[in-house]
Amino acid sequence: MDFQAIHDRLRVLRAPGLLGSDEPRPADPKDKHSKGRAGDPFLLVDAQKLVDFLVVCRDDARLSFEILADLSATDPSKDAADLWINVNLLSVRHKHRLAIKCTLAKQQARMPSSVRAYRAAQWAERECGEMFGIEFTGHPDPRNILLPDDWIGAPLRKDYEFPKEYHGISCV
Amino acid sequence: MGILEKQFEENVLTTRVDWLINWARLSSIWPMTFGLACCAIEMMAVGAAHHDIDRFGAGAFRATPRQADLMIVAGTVNFKMAERIRRLYDQMPGPKYVIAMGACATGGGPYYKYGYTVVKGVDRVVPVDVYIAGCPPRPEALLEGLMLLQEKIRRSSVVRRPARLA
Repeated sequence: MDFQAIHDRLRVLRAPGLLGSDEPRPADPKDKHSKGRAGDPFLLVDAQKLVDFLVVCRDDARLSFEILADLSATDPSKDAADLWINVNLLSVRHKHRLAIKCTLAKQQARMPSSVRAYRAAQWAERECGEMFGIEFTGHPDPRNILLPDDWIGAPLRKDYEFPKEYHGISCV
Repeated sequence: MGILEKQFEENVLTTRVDWLINWARLSSIWPMTFGLACCAIEMMAVGAAHHDIDRFGAGAFRATPRQADLMIVAGTVNFKMAERIRRLYDQMPGPKYVIAMGACATGGGPYYKYGYTVVKGVDRVVPVDVYIAGCPPRPEALLEGLMLLQEKIRRSSVVRRPARLA
């Protein structure tokens, strides 16, 4: 199925949390500041209902996304109020993919864990959690995966301040 | 030979203690099996047949720090690893030597500015004898570093403090 067909199918299924879609578009020639958008079309989903949305994507026979290809986050800018959660699904049986984007307020970066839908989300959410300071509620093993356990701060946030020293080793 | 002449039987050689001990040390610098990043690939190439680090008696890569004389820090050192490196260094028996191989181990390398987890030089954790430039250094550069270390050992003494290499 192509993107439009997947979107229609999810609307028919009344998938929880589906907010809309966003497709790449060229720059508007009349507007000087318009840059357009490159990349893939994606669905916008409510972060708090993402796990229920993923369960529908996984279990529906026409969609059957067996694989969570990626779950990551983006901090678009220092001034932005929201983080982006980017999810990529893959169906081997139907040979189609789906990109999903959620927004999550930086002030209260907390969302339900997607492990209930895909166990592959465990490591992805651990990395997301430590790098962007997101708390995934209901995660079975929320330790850091790359950083030391006592690391302070979320390094991939744009407002991250580099440490001055770590365990007596100077960082500057 | 002076006063020692004709005092011993034939086939006895006399030498200086310093020379003998230094010769023994510099001819068998056993490194630790230990690599951190891409520099380790070059280090493995040095160990393989073409460059053959065994020519210098340094080909016996030991799997434990307790049998090793030399720690080749080959790659990027991050803070999580730095404490392990210090522990491994402390476990090595003396005399022990450290080679900082490549830009990362020498001073943080390309991660100097934005590498929030990268130690800006392994000399902040362990004392370094020889620094090797390169990203990664050619195998020949590592061999030159090894020869510099041998030269440094050759100039050391069991009595005096090791002379600085000019």
